[in-house]
Formats: sequence, C-alpha cells, structure tokens
Amino acid sequence: MKIKFNIIGLDCPNCAAKLASQIEEAEGIDSAKINFLTEKMTVETSLDEGAAYDLILKICLAFDDDLKLEK
Amino acid sequence: MRKKLKKILKSDGIKIGLSLLLFAGGLIFGFVRFEALSLVLYAFALVIAGADVFVDAVKGILRLDPLDEKFLMSVAAIGAMIVGEWSEGCAVMIFYLVGETFEHRAVRKSRASIKALMDICPDEASVLIDGKEEIIDAEDVEIGMTVVIRPGERVAVDCTVTEGTAHVDTSSMTGEPIPVTVGAGDSLSSGFVVTDGQLFATAVRKSTESAAARVLELVTVASDNKSREESFITRFSRYYTPIVVALALVVAVVPPLFGLSTLSKSVYTALTFLVISCPCALVISVPLSFFGGIGGAASRGILFKGGNVFSKIASAETVAFDKTGTITSGRFEIQDIIPAGIGTDELLFIAASVESVSNHPVAVCIKKGAQNITAPKEAKELSGLGVTAEVEGQKCAVGNLALMRSQGATVPDEYIKENGVYVCRSREFIGTITISDSVKPEAGEAIKKLYRLGVKNTVILSGDREENVSRIAKETGIIKYYSQLSPEEKYEKLEALISESKSTLYVGDGINDAPSLARADVGIAMGNMGQDSAIEASDAVIMTDNLLKISEAMLIARKTVRIARENIVFAIGIKAFILLLGFFGLANMWLAVFADVGVAVLAVLNAMRALKFTEKYK
Repeated sequence: MKIKFNIIGLDCPNCAAKLASQIEEAEGIDSAKINFLTEKMTVETSLDEGAAYDLILKICLAFDDDLKLEK
Repeated sequence: MRKKLKKILKSDGIKIGLSLLLFAGGLIFGFVRFEALSLVLYAFALVIAGADVFVDAVKGILRLDPLDEKFLMSVAAIGAMIVGEWSEGCAVMIFYLVGETFEHRAVRKSRASIKALMDICPDEASVLIDGKEEIIDAEDVEIGMTVVIRPGERVAVDCTVTEGTAHVDTSSMTGEPIPVTVGAGDSLSSGFVVTDGQLFATAVRKSTESAAARVLELVTVASDNKSREESFITRFSRYYTPIVVALALVVAVVPPLFGLSTLSKSVYTALTFLVISCPCALVISVPLSFFGGIGGAASRGILFKGGNVFSKIASAETVAFDKTGTITSGRFEIQDIIPAGIGTDELLFIAASVESVSNHPVAVCIKKGAQNITAPKEAKELSGLGVTAEVEGQKCAVGNLALMRSQGATVPDEYIKENGVYVCRSREFIGTITISDSVKPEAGEAIKKLYRLGVKNTVILSGDREENVSRIAKETGIIKYYSQLSPEEKYEKLEALISESKSTLYVGDGINDAPSLARADVGIAMGNMGQDSAIEASDAVIMTDNLLKISEAMLIARKTVRIARENIVFAIGIKAFILLLGFFGLANMWLAVFADVGVAVLAVLNAMRALKFTEKYK
C-alpha cells in the first residue's frame, strides 16, 4: 500500500535522503521517498496507516526531535 | 519565566546577536592582550551559537554517521579552538548559524511562493441543501449537488452552470489572462475564479477528481521525477563529502610527517577542508531550480511532468504536429453555401434536415448553421459517403461526389469545391456547402517563434486529404507534411523523424494519438485537461489550446536548465577554488564557511529566478 505523509522540519535535502534510507530499513517498509521541497514522504508498506505512522514517527524523532509528521 | 527565556534563547536571531556580541568582546579583549577573558567570551559565544549543532553532532555519532554536516562543523570549530585559533573556531559556528538561518529562510520563502501559485483548490464550497445555502468542506461536495459561486470565489469542484452569467478568470489554471464569459450550460473547472456575477452550478466531479486537484497532484509528483542534472548532483555529493574528508586527514597528517609544516598549521587547513566538505549547498540548489521551473510553468498553464522533461524540450530540433484540434481549432464551420437553382435557406434547410440523423462532425456543423430543420424519414447513414433521407416527401442525399454519382445526380465542374459537401434532391443536384476546419489564428506566429528558438524542422502528420494538409502547411509556415496517414503510419513517420533528430517534440490533442505522444522524446498534449489517456501518455500538458504555449514551454525549460547548470558550476567551482586555496594555506575558516552556506544561499536565490518567466528571444 502507498501512504503519504507530510514531513516538516527537515534541515536539508541531504538529511532528507538519510532519513528516507533509515525508514526504508525498518521492518514492514518496502520503500520510502522524501521530497525535501514539497515536504512530502511517500512510503510503500505492508502495514496499515496507523501502524506505519507510529513506526515512522519513532524513527523521525530519533533522527531529529524537531520533526513533525502529519497524516 | 524560565521557559520563556529558553524560548528566546532558542530563536536564531537572538542567538546570532548574542554570540556576535560576545565574539566582538572576545576580539577586543584579545586585541588588548587580556587573553583569559577573551577566551571565556569566545567559549560562551561558541556554546550559544553552537549548542544545537553540538547536540545534533552527538546524535550523528550515535547514528554511526560521522559525515553528518553538524558533526563536521563541530569538529572544525572545536578543533580550531584546540589549535589555538580561538576567534576562527568561534566564527565558524556563528557564521554557520547565520548562513543556515538565511538558507532556511530562502527555502521557506521559495516554498511559500510556489505554494501560493498552487493555491488553486479551495477548502470549502457553498452548496444548496434543501433549498438552503450551506458552507461545507469541498471534499464533501457530492456529484449532482448544486454549488453557489459568488464574485471573488474560486470554483471548488468541476461543475456545469445551471443559472446565472459571470466573467470567470481562468488564469491560474490556463495561464490565459483574458476572462471568459460563462452562462447556463457552460462547464467550469475547479480553480477558476468568478470575478463578477453569481453562478449556480451542478457538481460533475468530486473535488479530489476535479481539474485543480489533478493539476496539483501532477505538479507535486513532477518534482519526484529527477532530471539528469539532479541525478548528477546527488551522485556527486555522495562521493564528494567522503573524498574531501579523506583529503582533510591526509592534509593534517602528511605534511608534518615530512617536516613540511607544523602540526597545528596543517590541522587548521584540514579543518577548513571539513567545513567545505558539507554537500548541502550542492544538493539543494539544483532540485530547487527545477521545482521553481515546474511551479512557474504551472502558473502559466504548462504542466511539466518531471524535471527530466526540461532538457529534452529545451533542445528540441523537430516539432511534429497533429492537425485537427492542434493546428486547426477542430471545430468545423460552414465556409460557403453555393445553391444551384434554389434559395440558400432552402438548400441549408434540406441539408441540415438530412444530416440531423448523423453525429459526424461535418453533419453537426451543418445542423448548427441552419435556422430550422424538419425530421427526415427513412434516413440512412452510408459510411464514407454521406446520408440519404426523405425530406418533405422527396428523396434527398447529402455527402461526397461518389454519393451524388450513386444517386444519379451530376455535379457541374464549377460546383466541385475543396472540402465540399454536395446536396441532391430527387436525383437533381441542388448545391454545394463548403466546410472548413479553421487554422488557429496564432498558428503562424507560433511556428515562427519555434524557428527563432532554433527548431530546424516542423512537420504535420495528418490523416486528412493532401490538398487540405498542404494548404495548412503553407498557411502556417510548416516545412513538411504527410497526409492521408493511418494511425499506424503516423506512428511510423514519427519514429523516422525521431531517429533523424536530436530531440523531437510531438504536439497533439490526445485524441487517437496517445501512442505518438508516448513515443516522442517529448509528447505535449494540449487543450485537453480532462483526458486521462492524453495526460498519462504525454510528458507535458498545455492546459489551453493556444499554440504559442509551445515556444513558451521551450523558453521556460531553457531558462530552468540554464539556472540549474549555473548552480552546479557555481557551487562546485567555488568549493573547488577554496579547497585549492586551503591546500596552499591561503584559505581561512571564514572563506570555508562562505563556501558552504554562502554558496547555498546564493544558489537558492538564483534558483528562484526559475519561477519567473519573461518572454525573450535571442
């Protein structure tokens, strides 16, 4: 399933790419793309939206606790 | 109180001000050789400016990511302090903070200006529920509901006007500045703005499937499709940072080993390398250029489906066109009525009555041109010939010369015309009606502009008869034409054109030519924002049917590509130059910080030029 989130507060496109590759490594996530300019994240996952959100939020906050993730 | 203080200390402005003040104090006391105090002031300045950076750096280490920008900056600042360059170590952090603040502001501003362009989907709509007007979320408007649109309001869903007339500003969707007048029966796309008058309309699509939402989706997804320039810079930066960091290590260790330099001097040089090694200036400027180009083009009614389309449009050498609906308006009109032995009105009356049973575009246009018609009897549509029917008890036929012959009517030579439709009654020829599919008024100018942009070859690919196609080619200044092509032949001709030239554009209206749109280097679908197949198959979509938009698209693409390349050369060039200076011990931390954040800010500002379009031909 394809899920989109808004991801707000990333510093630079380089960080965006790093975060995306970290999310991609998590279990249940097939792919993760972050567009720094549109502040949008697209994830392919076998999880449902709620579970994916919780999982990704955890990774984001560990990466940088100023990040905001919106459904 | 404490929380408030903390918040104030967290604001970048305050941090910069305070740390600059402390830094100045440090400089002054250092100058009068009161070094202990000077060092304390520097240390405070460093902590205030760099606290967040240090915290992030530690996080970077915990993530096992030693090439993190924050980490590199921290090492550079603290390292400079250790080798005795206190003021420089402190300055690195302060100016990194200043640069970052500017960079974030520039990115935020460019995001906002692009978002403003994209603010075409209203959140709410007024609808009539049981005769009463209510404001509901645009997403909750169901098909068939009556929406009310007042002056100044934006249309929330695609709909058909049922009542009222008004002027409508379509510019944010089509890029056309001239308002359109609409009344009952006309369709409205979401994103249009009603400038005067009140309209009642029936929703025909949900807001999420309406034009504005689809345009927005297309444009948002477009920045995911990377251009060659973007892929290059991403690949480049992946190697750039590790290589420069490795160089820094070499520079720090090797010269002192051979007695070429003191350890502290060479460590200082290495630290400047670390500052320069941050890749962000590179990585941000190029995508932002394309982002700007996509946004700027969208505001003019041109949708690029990805950054990868720009360079191909920019270098187009051959432009191939579909004819009907692309070069011509696709709306047939009666050009001339030439009766033989009867009145004009009577001829038209008979022709329209017979044709009233057919949906052929020619039949529809004859019907439209007639004042009154009657229902015919025993009407028969003969494909490829025309229609026969009984009108007022007499057997009539409307169609081509072959039909006339089969009806036993002879058409005198002076009545045989280009694009003629012939009419006979009771085996007697009674007149010719000529039909034209008019060339769009701007076609000639549009083609001329393409030549001025360096397009070498223009071609019409058409299924129509040779005499029509050659006339249109001559009229518009198009160099080559191929007529009477079947859809397969059209595709083959296009393939031949593609193999002959560097980049080939194909411009079509998306009806029956989706394969060609998909095959060309760049397929441009025009005037058909509703057609899914056309949007899918094409690389760029032009929202209006205005041919001048093709040269405009080329100009926007060229400008965007040029800006992206400028940014690549500029960012890499400055970094390489300062690395070189650093290598010979000529660069200090200040220059290194400029090479990082200063370049980023300038590149972002340059990228924003892609948003604006001015028509300029060399």
